[in-house]
Amino acid sequence: MTATASTTARPAWRRYFGWSTDHKVIGVQYIVTSFFFFLVGGAMAGMIRAQLLAPDSTLVSAEAYNRLTTNHGSIMLFLWILPVLAGLSNYLIPLQIGARDMAFPRLNALSFWFLVPSGLLMLASFFVGAAEAGWTAYVPLSVSGPDGQTLWAISVVLLGASSMMGALNFVTTVFTMRAPGMTFWRLPLFTWSVLATSILTLTATPVLTAGLILIALDRLVGTLFFSVPAGGDPILWQNLFWFYSHPAVYIMVLPAMGAISEIFPVFARKPIFGYRMIALSSLAISLLGLTVWAHHMFTSGMDPRLRVPYMISTMIIAVPTGVKIFSWLATIWGGKLRLDTPMLFALGFISMFLIGGITGVFLAAIPVDLHVHDTYFVVAHLHFVLFGGSVSGAYAALYYWYPKITGRRFDERLGKIHFAANFIGTNLAYLPMFLAGLLGMPRRVVNYDPRFTELNQLASLGAFILAASVLPLLYNFVVSWVTGPRAGDNPWRAKTLEWSVSSPPPSHNFDTPPVVTGEPYDFGESALPAPAMSSAAAAD
Amino acid sequence: MKERTVFAIAVITVALLAAGFWVAQNVNLMPAEGSSRAALVDQLFRAMLGMAAVVFLLVEGLLLYSVLRFRRPRGDDTDAVAVHGNRALEIVWTLIPALIVVVIGFYSFRVLAASETRDADPLVVNVHSRQFSWTFEYPAAGVTSTDLHLPVGRQVRFLITSDDVIHSFWVPEFRVKRDATPGQLAELLVTPTLLGTYAVRCAELCGVGHASMGLTSQVYVVSEADFQTWLEAQAGLPSDPIAAGRLLMGRYGCSGCHTLADAGALGVVGPALDPLSDPAVQAGLHGGDLRAYVEQSIVDPSAVVVQGFIDGLMPADLGTRIPAGELAILVDYLVAQK
Repeated sequence: MTATASTTARPAWRRYFGWSTDHKVIGVQYIVTSFFFFLVGGAMAGMIRAQLLAPDSTLVSAEAYNRLTTNHGSIMLFLWILPVLAGLSNYLIPLQIGARDMAFPRLNALSFWFLVPSGLLMLASFFVGAAEAGWTAYVPLSVSGPDGQTLWAISVVLLGASSMMGALNFVTTVFTMRAPGMTFWRLPLFTWSVLATSILTLTATPVLTAGLILIALDRLVGTLFFSVPAGGDPILWQNLFWFYSHPAVYIMVLPAMGAISEIFPVFARKPIFGYRMIALSSLAISLLGLTVWAHHMFTSGMDPRLRVPYMISTMIIAVPTGVKIFSWLATIWGGKLRLDTPMLFALGFISMFLIGGITGVFLAAIPVDLHVHDTYFVVAHLHFVLFGGSVSGAYAALYYWYPKITGRRFDERLGKIHFAANFIGTNLAYLPMFLAGLLGMPRRVVNYDPRFTELNQLASLGAFILAASVLPLLYNFVVSWVTGPRAGDNPWRAKTLEWSVSSPPPSHNFDTPPVVTGEPYDFGESALPAPAMSSAAAAD
Repeated sequence: MKERTVFAIAVITVALLAAGFWVAQNVNLMPAEGSSRAALVDQLFRAMLGMAAVVFLLVEGLLLYSVLRFRRPRGDDTDAVAVHGNRALEIVWTLIPALIVVVIGFYSFRVLAASETRDADPLVVNVHSRQFSWTFEYPAAGVTSTDLHLPVGRQVRFLITSDDVIHSFWVPEFRVKRDATPGQLAELLVTPTLLGTYAVRCAELCGVGHASMGLTSQVYVVSEADFQTWLEAQAGLPSDPIAAGRLLMGRYGCSGCHTLADAGALGVVGPALDPLSDPAVQAGLHGGDLRAYVEQSIVDPSAVVVQGFIDGLMPADLGTRIPAGELAILVDYLVAQK
């Protein structure tokens, strides 16, 4: 039986529950699986914020609290943001470059099927005493601790393997599978951002994996890599960990930036401003991102002479980031803006990511960092980057490509309600944390000085609004998939290739191989309402 | 460019700079300025806050203005006028942020250098950390305490170590923290400049008692004379047995982990010492001999572990560290608290 015959013989929905090598099926599998873990990680955040409603609350024990914060962080980063962006990339990259599938379809399926057992392993760790050393797993604390810490390390190793397989696939696909005429300077910016991200993933992830294996060996077979009495160095782990985990922030935000770079031109009906600068700034962030990790270690006793170079490299990242922000602003300037849900989330991205970006410069400034490092200031900063930034970008992308993926339109009113609740909740939850940190509240504390009570109650209120904001999203996406009106091929009148095929696209993507003749954002120049990049070239 | 546009840009630039200047002058988000370093850090922080305000207002302002101003007219499905880029503009918004970060980087370096210069004769304090308490040792005077007492105006050289995992010694009013990493001797220079009582926080997750490790030890910044008086009182033992017991609670780190109202101890890692008789009576140990039970709990803390608390956290070497005479005073003091 051929693959085509087997897929047509089964009802379409069943493909999503088994082994499939279709990048679109895998993309949806990634997105739905990661959303499940988003809800789990969110429930943990809810418990954390409920505990912090009162300074001496005993709602959860200190032990349970450390397990919650550790796994909330790990799940949100490794099982929600990374895989939801991997899912979008999977779905979109072959379509955007005019390819039939990814370069290695079976490897692609394998990378998704690594995600499921590693996620279950992390959840299962709660039955044997979950990891409680923070998502940063600093040694020696993480070398002692319950058995769940070992499961955690193995889980993150598997997730790293998954994301390396994915990255290898993306790089190969973009380099070798582009349609005729799809030059690098005609690549959609989402594809550019995934290319930059994948290069970073391939460079940085092996280093974290090596470190995790050392921890697992110390725990399982009694090696002494991190044993201080035996001459091990706790600082070594911090170097290995941050060499991946700082770039990981860029890995988690660059594709979100790529997604909103697609959205602004479409909803402003204008070409993207400074296309090449946006593409190059992604690469610049990727490369610079490999040189900044030790800014997490200013208080750790690294060689004092090394601190200043790391401060400089970290601050310089503000420059390519600024280029992106100003280019987006110039794109919407003078446009004809439609404020549909994807556009609202893209605008919200700029508004909130900006706060994360600016406070990042404060953290890079060594004298300020020595005060705010490991405080709620950092908690606020990272949530503005990763929630206000990455997750807003992921939301924008999910709304934007929802009609393409499902063939249906979502309810615009529910989308706007979700945006409003998300925007208010995010600012309310995280802004007070900056002040708590500056005034002296350390992070990861189960109880705190009563002088921080009001700030924590505001933050908890914001978190509860965020929890509620997910309900309209869930309802909207589930119900619209079944009962939403048909979307048509190109409801937003966009010009990238994925909009030139049906919604959802046929399993082979393109009926005839596309030939690309123009740039992806030539709004205001082409009279054709249909995508300028399709095989309509013949008409010219 | 039209004259009106140039005028508008000029007005907005001046307004933004004025707003940034106002923020730098008037917005204070920091706790009390408790050290010479704090004054320097706060100057830097406020300057950065002013610059941040300019960038924030500019970007959010442009965003909001665009959203209000450039809306698609109803029924208009045509595209906007195409603009692909503007070389001059792109150079400007690359160079200006680059310039800003160079200025901040240079300023940061100056502050760092100024705040890490060692005076000729600093007061040396050894900071010992362990799960989950601090002890502060004044080696020149041979004094140890769970609270930190410092004379105002004199540079302190903290030498920070850890017995187990990584902790981080932080006094927010001093605007600086330093990790206590096992196997490392970390140095930190602070010159307290403001009389007052501040909290010592632990900033690095160190286990179940991490939060309480930031809520139990205080810093008392006092005059040089008061500091000397305190130091002398600590060196010996008061003749009053209650006062002596109170002092020993601090000297041997008991206050870091246990609560005892009379000694001002706030620790929550170990069982509270106020209702002391309860666990012993319940355990029916030593024929109800409370004194023997208390002594055993200090010398051999694993012998009886009160339910709900973790075995192995209390140092096992107190029996050898506390001289017999002081142990008797401490036990008497604790028994008297029931």
